[in-house]
Amino acid sequence: MDITIGVLALQGAFNEHIQLLREAGQIVASKENNSQKKWIFKEVRTEAELTSCDALIIPGGESTAISLVAQRSNMLEPLRHFVKVTRKPTWGTCAGLILLAEAANQTKRGGQELIGGLDVRVNRNHFGRQVESFQANLDLPFLQKADGDGQDVETSQKPFRAIFIRAPIVEKLLPRVSGIQQDEAKAEETVIAPSRAMDESVAKDITLADVEIMGVLPGRTAAVKDDGMEEKLDAEAGDIIAVRQANVFGTSFHPELTGDPRIHVWWLEQVVEAIGRRKKS
Amino acid sequence: MINDHSNSRMATELPTRTTNGDATSQNASGESNFTVKTGLARMLKGGVIMDVVNAEQAKIAEEAGAVAVMALERVPADIRAQGGVARMSDPKMIKEIMAAVTIPVMAKARIGHFVECQILEAIGVDYIDESEVLTPADHAHHVEKHPYSVPFVCGCRNLGEALRRISEGAAMIRTKGEAGTGDVVEAVRHMRTVTAEISRAQNMSDAELRILAKDIQAPFDLLKETAKLGRLPVVNFAAGGIATPADAALMMQLGCDGVFVGSGIFKSGDASKRAKAIVQAVTHYNDPKVLAAVSEDLGEAMVGLNVSSMEAKDKMQGRGW
Repeated sequence: MDITIGVLALQGAFNEHIQLLREAGQIVASKENNSQKKWIFKEVRTEAELTSCDALIIPGGESTAISLVAQRSNMLEPLRHFVKVTRKPTWGTCAGLILLAEAANQTKRGGQELIGGLDVRVNRNHFGRQVESFQANLDLPFLQKADGDGQDVETSQKPFRAIFIRAPIVEKLLPRVSGIQQDEAKAEETVIAPSRAMDESVAKDITLADVEIMGVLPGRTAAVKDDGMEEKLDAEAGDIIAVRQANVFGTSFHPELTGDPRIHVWWLEQVVEAIGRRKKS
Repeated sequence: MINDHSNSRMATELPTRTTNGDATSQNASGESNFTVKTGLARMLKGGVIMDVVNAEQAKIAEEAGAVAVMALERVPADIRAQGGVARMSDPKMIKEIMAAVTIPVMAKARIGHFVECQILEAIGVDYIDESEVLTPADHAHHVEKHPYSVPFVCGCRNLGEALRRISEGAAMIRTKGEAGTGDVVEAVRHMRTVTAEISRAQNMSDAELRILAKDIQAPFDLLKETAKLGRLPVVNFAAGGIATPADAALMMQLGCDGVFVGSGIFKSGDASKRAKAIVQAVTHYNDPKVLAAVSEDLGEAMVGLNVSSMEAKDKMQGRGW
């Protein structure tokens, strides 16, 4: 069985993802006995290339530029179809997380187009400009769970060295709604993604649950703006920097810059499971 | 071709585990911040960085899909025409540009002028270009770039020059080309020179590399790393004379990671349209049909100067060493 993973290559660090995917693909293959799988990793710039993919990564880069180039390359609607209608596995890092959010603020004047898929509001450039970029150790519970089976325990317990570059954060988890995020649309200087209904034929394989928090960055509450008590409470628990909802996964940091393939391995295993679920039904 | 990563033309893949520069750049906890500096350059790859002289132009650039803007007082074509000493821009103007757009803002400092760099860092620009387009401030020294928290980009004409800048702490390299001419010939020359020198180094033994390091005045370790990678160990953009979508795609096909456009946009007939076309050309650089479509009806390109008829003293690329 061939599995094709695309990396959106309109702009940004797409090649770094492909390098780590190649490494992760080998690790996944070595974990499974008797694997018939063949991984194909490809750059995606056109609708035809996207259609051939089973899963997609939207890399880091400038979200404004990626969004504008996608629009002018007639890729926005095919991307929304891939993520929200056919609900195929999609992972966004940094700029990719912004594009996959249903709502975003601190965008350029005049706003920007979003793909959507995650019921969250992201705050762009949350930590500030480049001089505020940083690295931090993260404890990511999903990595520890994932590696229980016979893997070196020390490897799976090791914190993940995350790189944040002019990074966004998930500032608010939004309720699941049918249609667009109306309340967000009313907020000033917040842009939202258009709604696209899920294809009925995939509805039985995908459960649209609430957004799941997959990782937090503790102790950086100072940068959070004072705009509502609820958000302040969220902030005290740490900034949300990794989320998942159904087929969509987002991280505000850059695993593709670390040379550490653990998150890529985990995600490829999620992709295999998702494809398996669809085959069965 | 697009999906073929074993592409023999030129190694364009930049491994994430490159170690250059790390050892000399450590923060208080003994940790390198070079990863964070080169990280932003990686995020700019496949994109276009545009010269702008005011907030209004910056907004046009952002709307066109620029990944960053370079704030400067006069574009190189005007510096060339008007003469005089070209210096760092007024911080007020840079701050206006920073307030006008949400994409990264770069600014130029004179070669060797470390106080201009301190000022730019204090303003909070996202990248500093230690640039030959401005009048050099030091006849022998470039700025020691590792101690700054702001990353630097520097120009080069050949491999030795590129590796000297990286060794000083540049987290990103660009070809010098010949700024403000609209003539792409020098950018091509510099890119081809770097590529040819790297492929020669790839076939050398350590002993031979030591001789080469001495000849091109580059640190041996960086040269060895470059030979092993088959490309420069940091992100490498094209700059200096790019005026059309075809010029931009040419530089990308020659192996550059992205493109700077200076005078080429705001010295042309329809700046916004040309800017958008160059952005599309850099994404779809391997697709001649897209390139043909975006090249159509762009209005007048910048008039330009033929580098071949210029005198050596009028060239900016000779500044820096």
